Amino acid sequence: MSVIAVLVKASLNPDMVRAEPDGSIDVSAIPLKISDIDRNAIEEAVRLKQRLGWKLVTVSVVTWGPVSARMKDVRLAVQESLAKGSDEAIVVADDALTPGDQTLTAKAIKAALERSGIKPQLILAGEATIDEVTSQVPGRLAALLGYSYVSFARKLEVEDGKVIAERDLEDYVEVVEAPLPAVVSVTQEINEPRPPTLLQIRRASRKPIKTFGLRELGDIGKPSRKLLEIKAIQARRKQVIIEGETLEEIAEKLIEALAKEGILQL
Amino acid sequence: MKVLAIAYEVKDAGELAKAVKEFNGEADILAVSRAAEQVNEVARYSKRVYRLASKSPYAIYKALENLVERGGYQLLIAEGYRNLRDALSRLAGSLDLPMITDAYTIRILDGEKVLVERGFLSERAKMKVEVPLPAIVLFIPRFTEPLEPGEEGEVIELAPTEGPEKVLDVKPKAMGDVNLEEADIIVGVGRGFKAKEDLHLAFELAELLGGQVGCTRPIAADLKWLSEDRWIGISGKRVAPKLYIAIGISGSPQHMSGVQNAKIIVAINKDKSAPIFKQADYGVVADLYQFVPILIQKLKEKKAKG
Repeated sequence: MSVIAVLVKASLNPDMVRAEPDGSIDVSAIPLKISDIDRNAIEEAVRLKQRLGWKLVTVSVVTWGPVSARMKDVRLAVQESLAKGSDEAIVVADDALTPGDQTLTAKAIKAALERSGIKPQLILAGEATIDEVTSQVPGRLAALLGYSYVSFARKLEVEDGKVIAERDLEDYVEVVEAPLPAVVSVTQEINEPRPPTLLQIRRASRKPIKTFGLRELGDIGKPSRKLLEIKAIQARRKQVIIEGETLEEIAEKLIEALAKEGILQL
Repeated sequence: MKVLAIAYEVKDAGELAKAVKEFNGEADILAVSRAAEQVNEVARYSKRVYRLASKSPYAIYKALENLVERGGYQLLIAEGYRNLRDALSRLAGSLDLPMITDAYTIRILDGEKVLVERGFLSERAKMKVEVPLPAIVLFIPRFTEPLEPGEEGEVIELAPTEGPEKVLDVKPKAMGDVNLEEADIIVGVGRGFKAKEDLHLAFELAELLGGQVGCTRPIAADLKWLSEDRWIGISGKRVAPKLYIAIGISGSPQHMSGVQNAKIIVAINKDKSAPIFKQADYGVVADLYQFVPILIQKLKEKKAKG
């Protein structure tokens, strides 16, 4: 049976960032949540699964540790995809892989698929994840697997062993055709994700989740990226609320402030 | 250390050359897409320019793979256009290279490592990261001022390789004549506007300031009040104006990541708990329908006085 794999990441939740007074951020204190754009990838994968009658597998790599403290959030993200229609999930979790980098994440996905004996015809992913926004794991994975790659798809069809997609670029849209097997990254325009029903959520708890550590995957290397410092940049903004008795006064003060900044030349 | 800069737009060449000059390096340039069309201008920033008349991610990826293998480049730099993110992520996978995106500063340590500051957590934070060379670094657009052009270097023509992905059709996006990436002042509009007709307030303000109008995702993608070339954010454009005036915008991470490089951000919103006020330099808590006409009036008065 042909398989679609969908990549799901439990990302740091940017809305839950708390900075210390010196601006430093403790990443381990930020909860994880499913990356928003992954929801579009899941929705599209479920749609294709239903149309094509293929099997759908979720793949997730834990990139923010420690694993023991993160598994609850990771399971929640993965279970959301199971509830929406994925048949099973593969999770790679190992403290040696955290904090993950994109090089290793792509290798871990490839190794986990191989270890599970799964050769997806199609791999779907969000165009980027909300914490790092690098857009590089799908492209890396395509190169590692020797698959064709269609990035930034806002429309997707699969037929006769190929994908036809609309790629959304800065100032034009490109319709491309690529043979399967393929990796496709999708944008939020591709669909409107539906929340799962209660019944779907209940059924999801019975679907299998396989967890792999490094021992099962074999040697895929170590993260080469060192995170030296993470600081809030909110403090960079002045956050001055301009107040006044009347809106006229506020408008004048605002114009004055902008003139002082040297950006308004009237 | 050998550096290869990839220019997608003509302007990239000067900016990337500036970054390389700052760490006392010298870069060859690969000109693709529109930069390839105007290769003579690009050639004024490097002694050696490779020209690849293509914007296909696969062709760029394969050309780079070849250049890196033969040319021994240790560092590849570019700005983060979508086709380049595509091409370079494939190259990173195929050559097993670290790749850092959304960089705004770069330093080379002992000729062995590269230290980069980049946006993180939907631009609410910045991250300092270090990776060993060879590596790929993609910068945010307009991360630096361009270098002055010099003598024209040598241009070497490369032939594009055909890949598995075939282009069937190209559709230009519905475009106004806006180029937000180049704008010094941008007035951004969000869901605080209740009707399409009301956007004239933003346009009037922008015109008065010599700026352009941009918008959030719902305005372009869902409501289709404005064309997509005005859409700012993760899936839209990333801009770096001197002044960004956000009107009726709540400040979602998806939108704010597109404006984090604005020098000054002004927020006008009637909800004083809107997250945008924490990400703005100057905030005005007011109903935009009342405040913007007054602001326009005051600006006109100042202008009239000269």
